[in-house]
Amino acid sequence: MGACQKIDQHEIPSKDNGLTGIMVNVDNFAYEANKVFLLNEGSMGSNNATLDFLRLPAGLYITDAFGKMNPSVGGGLGDVGNDIAVINNELWIVVNNSGLVEVVSRDDETEIKAISVPTPRNIAFDANYAYVTSWAGAFSKYEGYDLVDYSNPKGQVYRINLKTKEVDGHIEVGYQPEGIAYYNGKLYVANSGGLTLPPTYSYDNTVSIIDAASFTVTKEVEVQVNLNDVYSDGKGNIYLTTMGNYWDVHSGLYMLSAANPDSPVHVADYVSVSTINGDTVYCIGTETEFEWGTDHSYSSFTVKNGVKTALSLNLTHTTPYSIGVLNENTIFVGELALSSYEDEGQTKWSSDYFNPGTVTCYWHGNKLWTVQAGVCPGHFAIY
Amino acid sequence: MVSVCCSLWAQQTDTLVEARVFSYKVLPVVKASEQVAFLPGQVKPSAQVSELLRRFTGVQVKDYGGVGGLKTVNVRSLGSEHVGVFLDGIQIDNAQNMQVDLGRFSVDGLGAVSLYNAVKTQRLQTAKEYVSGAAVHLISEEPLLLWSDSAFKVRFRGGSFGTVNPSFQWNRRIGGTLLRVGAEFLSSNGKYKYDYFGTPLTRENGDITSLRLDSRLSGNLMGGKWSLLLYGYGSERGFPGPVIRRSEEFPFSAERQADRDLFAQGGWTKDWTDRYSSAVKFKYSNNYTHYNTHPEKNPMALPYNLHYRQQSTYVSLAQSLGLCDPWSVDLSTDLQRNSLDSDVGQFVKPRRTVFTGALATLLTWERFRAAAHIAYMGAWDFFDQKNAGGWTRENKFRDAWMPSVSLFVRPISWLEVDAFAKRTYRLPSFNDLYYSLMGNSALLPETAAQVGADIRISARTGALEWQARLSPYYNHIDQKIVAIPTASQFRWTMLNIGKVDVTGLDAKLQVGRDLGFADRRAELTLRYTFQQALDHSSPGSFTWGNQVPYIPLHSGGVDLSVLWERWSFSWDTTVTGERWSRSANTDDYRIAPWSISDATLMNKFLTGGVSELSVGITLNNIFNQSYQVVQGYPMPGTILLLILEYNW
Repeated sequence: MGACQKIDQHEIPSKDNGLTGIMVNVDNFAYEANKVFLLNEGSMGSNNATLDFLRLPAGLYITDAFGKMNPSVGGGLGDVGNDIAVINNELWIVVNNSGLVEVVSRDDETEIKAISVPTPRNIAFDANYAYVTSWAGAFSKYEGYDLVDYSNPKGQVYRINLKTKEVDGHIEVGYQPEGIAYYNGKLYVANSGGLTLPPTYSYDNTVSIIDAASFTVTKEVEVQVNLNDVYSDGKGNIYLTTMGNYWDVHSGLYMLSAANPDSPVHVADYVSVSTINGDTVYCIGTETEFEWGTDHSYSSFTVKNGVKTALSLNLTHTTPYSIGVLNENTIFVGELALSSYEDEGQTKWSSDYFNPGTVTCYWHGNKLWTVQAGVCPGHFAIY
Repeated sequence: MVSVCCSLWAQQTDTLVEARVFSYKVLPVVKASEQVAFLPGQVKPSAQVSELLRRFTGVQVKDYGGVGGLKTVNVRSLGSEHVGVFLDGIQIDNAQNMQVDLGRFSVDGLGAVSLYNAVKTQRLQTAKEYVSGAAVHLISEEPLLLWSDSAFKVRFRGGSFGTVNPSFQWNRRIGGTLLRVGAEFLSSNGKYKYDYFGTPLTRENGDITSLRLDSRLSGNLMGGKWSLLLYGYGSERGFPGPVIRRSEEFPFSAERQADRDLFAQGGWTKDWTDRYSSAVKFKYSNNYTHYNTHPEKNPMALPYNLHYRQQSTYVSLAQSLGLCDPWSVDLSTDLQRNSLDSDVGQFVKPRRTVFTGALATLLTWERFRAAAHIAYMGAWDFFDQKNAGGWTRENKFRDAWMPSVSLFVRPISWLEVDAFAKRTYRLPSFNDLYYSLMGNSALLPETAAQVGADIRISARTGALEWQARLSPYYNHIDQKIVAIPTASQFRWTMLNIGKVDVTGLDAKLQVGRDLGFADRRAELTLRYTFQQALDHSSPGSFTWGNQVPYIPLHSGGVDLSVLWERWSFSWDTTVTGERWSRSANTDDYRIAPWSISDATLMNKFLTGGVSELSVGITLNNIFNQSYQVVQGYPMPGTILLLILEYNW
């Protein structure tokens, strides 16, 4: 797509048209979207998750839209926003430490329903259901289970009916499941084992594969320790990111290919931040991720059909925390607040998880603008 | 508060009592910045040390709410890690997190509670008394036993939130030996109303049950004085968690913690000659904690079920030599060993040996006094490398020299000036150093450089006695240990990068009036604290130069107490100005100013012989204000407590 092909769109009349924000330059974007949503995670225990969005084609960046459109919801969006996704006319927001999946209108951000799911993490959809990974063990007395072993319970996937918005089942997967993706009747769940609890004190390295129709786990495939995100490229390839163990296994990107789905292929190392757009996985990472210092330089790359290509983003003195892709030339990076300190006479840069971060728009690899977002700008969704 | 009446009297004992005694044996160089001393037999309306400290200028009690909520103290923006808490000169410490929960310490059995911003300067101190940024000293009560060889006291406090707090104390003289046996039980359901985003809710899982047993023996041995304290404390409590938006289907928290703290401490002080004295002190403590998030009761909880055991062994030798009358030299040497064991994953079982030494000198004329010391602290840490995950860190030795000078002048009878300058360090805690995936075993000690003065004026106009104190100060905290995320949000580290500059002023004005007789008296106290504590850690960031979290620029209060024969009444109002919960001083993180008022009314009945019964009521937060000290932790509304105390 050329930069000048602006797709003509009409302003949709919506209750949130009155929201005010900051004007940013979107004049040369080539896009087919109305909104770029950004979920700010907030810091745990501070109840400060917020939802921002960029309105197109107006170029208006609006902060805390959920709070502004839902003043009667006590406590706002809640504590620790962990994932967002658009389905049908709705935006589903996973609010981890509030135990809620908040469903809002994608057009005006007003609440449709808040669904209770214990320690929800990430979300995926098929035609009829939403699937939410959860760290909560299946022993919970709330569900009438007997107490099994609560020293390190396996997590679960909760299934929610898209029409009724009621939970209608849950199944056990691996330890502390994170990302989830749907493709062709199957759900792929990345198990992290991130709590590294006794008795093994180790990370999980498996993907649980669920048959959506029967809602049962049909297979577990070993990949690498501490799985994080999982994406489907829509062509039968499943991409998985891992966080590594922070001391001798680096973070990375792996692929279960359509041709050989049981044998994971290592695609790339150093993946701290990632997303998918179409069949292309966008990644940001740093080779110095094991180093105890904080002054890291990041590099970015894309992967398509398992082939890695460098992606030009100027990531000097930034602290990338999330990436959102409108199209190959228009990329948003959520950044943590930046702090600096002196160490032996040198200024070093570090990230800050407590103060508000920013979102930067990269256009053709160059910084176009930066606006202030909320604390820990972590997850993009575009419709 | 009744105790406020007595604080004036207690501060007036500073004169040469006997001509024969060398002045350095009785005259301190600096006075406590704040002190509450109890008269023997006085009824203490506060149950916890933290309640007393709340009314000291410059002190901020960080309170997570409820009887069982953590209560730590910050002094002049020095974090609680810099505030040493001493019981009879021996530090109550916690190598795991360097914080002492003052909500656990009862006022029962204490004769005085004092706060020192300058270094306490007396003879025969432990070396550790020289090396705190600020110090809270708890002094054991010495029973009088005037009329018989034994005295009993039973006390009951109880009221709101199902609080039941009986205590018992028995003092006995056996020959030259004094024995005290005390017991105290505390139980509270912690259920109080609070505002949940506009909806009134009741705080859950904030209950506590605790039991304290202690016994103190003191007497004379081989021409010296000795004491031995055995102390046991056990508690089981819930943590109600921060108030956040939470699905109605899940509780806020089901976290429970059980503690069992045991310690034995004692000492022996002897004047070998007119000029040479020594004091030996020791302590052994063994603290066990069990923390469980109970995920089976709360599906929102991360499944943690952890046990910790901390042990500490400590010995101290202090020696003092009088050179010529107003001049003496002290040498104090302490040795301590700490250990922490736990079943936390990849736990490195740290061990620490700390040597602290102080060489001090005192010069104590009546009108001019000076003290100086140089202290040295060396700490050897050892940790179990095989459990250290990917760490390639080595065991580390940390040391620091800590100098201080203090001066006292009384140029005219109604004016006294204390001034001090000191530099202290606090060691990194075991959590700072060795917490899985976060600790940084290369940390250096955190520095606090302080200068300050206390200017005290006393005057009498007619029947009114005036006492005023103005205390300007400046603190610079450097190499402050701050948690910083590295490349991954799961992998944080601790670095010595924080810098805070604190400019402050404490002011206090007390007016007392005798209303005819010694048992009729009224006293009014005004307190004010100004604290500009600026975050200078991160040049160029938008938090640079902002007020640090939780420190109000302005705070203060008014206390009124009236003693009228058998009746006593006290009223306290405390005001805290606006604060922010983080260095981003924005509206989103602003904590509104609050003011709360407490009152106590007591009546004492003589019930024949030497026995007496006191009956009283205490109302805390009379106007039922809704407020938070720590964001997300609402404090209780009005609390009514009944106090009954019987002495015989």
